[in-house]
Amino acid sequence: MHDSPIIDLGGFRLDLSAVIMLLVTGIIVFVLARLAVRNLSVENPSKLQNFMEWVVEFVQGIVASAMDLKKGKPYISLGLTLITFIFVANVLGLPFAIITDLPADFTVFGQTIEATRGLHDGHMAHVLWWKSPTADISVTAGLAIVVFFLMNYLGLKLNRKHYLKHYIEPFPVFLPLNIIENLAKPVALAIRLFANIFAGEVLITVILKMGYYGIPFLAVWQGFSIFIGALQAFIFTILTMVYIAQTTIHEEDAH
Amino acid sequence: MVVLWENIVISILAFGVLYVLLHKFAFGKLFAIMEQRRELVINQIDEASKTREQAHVYVEEQKQALNQARQEAHDIIERSRQTSNKQAEQIVELAKEEADRIKVDALRDIESEKNKAVAELRSELGSVSVRIASKLIEREVNNDKAQEELVDQYLKEVGGRP
Repeated sequence: MHDSPIIDLGGFRLDLSAVIMLLVTGIIVFVLARLAVRNLSVENPSKLQNFMEWVVEFVQGIVASAMDLKKGKPYISLGLTLITFIFVANVLGLPFAIITDLPADFTVFGQTIEATRGLHDGHMAHVLWWKSPTADISVTAGLAIVVFFLMNYLGLKLNRKHYLKHYIEPFPVFLPLNIIENLAKPVALAIRLFANIFAGEVLITVILKMGYYGIPFLAVWQGFSIFIGALQAFIFTILTMVYIAQTTIHEEDAH
Repeated sequence: MVVLWENIVISILAFGVLYVLLHKFAFGKLFAIMEQRRELVINQIDEASKTREQAHVYVEEQKQALNQARQEAHDIIERSRQTSNKQAEQIVELAKEEADRIKVDALRDIESEKNKAVAELRSELGSVSVRIASKLIEREVNNDKAQEELVDQYLKEVGGRP
């Protein structure tokens, strides 16, 4: 098992790998989006603009499948950010990983990396720097918490009466069950995304141990992992939209 | 597996910042452009259907105009044919009238020439007969008046039996 490059900043355990990877992901997504909207044109769109418009229409389709598109318009930006961010994050770990063997008491920015603290001489800590940020359950938990907060906040703000009433339906006895259901949503979101991507990276590591014989398997698995990455991004986005639709939109004939 | 709350905070921050940046600097413009494109396409489709309708109307008008022109041409030919027929008839009529008139004139001329000849003959005959008579009855008839009356009387008898 690889260790994370964590430095302790007065009680705040900063995971350098997570910071770097989130930064890289964010920069890639933002630069791609900026390139796509650099030379916007109504008459003669560039290829990148066409691609970006296709993505937007895809997300519009996702939102429309969960709720009325008129009500769902503000969420298109959210869905776009989610799907591009998660997809880029998922595939970042596929081409390579960067692992360094660090000696005891290795320091970065004058801070000792926790994993190397107190190692005996001759022992090395395997520190994983470059990986998919979504292969870290803390990151997927962060995304899921954003969704959890959003769906409950929007439910309270736009649909308070029915949102609250939903907790004691069909009978008040169901209150704990409904609360658990609500809490299970972000947990499921976080674990699903994390487990898929983490398992993919673990399998890549395993295949690499096979040496040259593993090359065809690796090629197949890399391709499949791209598919998994896209699929998980899609699932995360559509579930987010479904959850938001569930809490914010009250359909008269639904009950 | 360790869950670091610090990582959760960092990822929430990263996602939030990315969302704000993308929303502000990228997606807004893209959505506006896509909306414009949608309107453009709708307008063009509208225009195309309008143009097609207009073309249809034009074709109908052209067809009607063509039919009308054909009809008019037909009418003109018909009318000119009638006119020419009428003119021909008129010309023939006129010619006939002219011929009749000429015939009548000729007859009248003949009549008057005849009368003239008869009158001439009559006066010639009168003087000749007078001369004959004067030779026969010299001096007995000197009175001119009596002579004339006598001649007329004879001539009437002669004219009565042509």
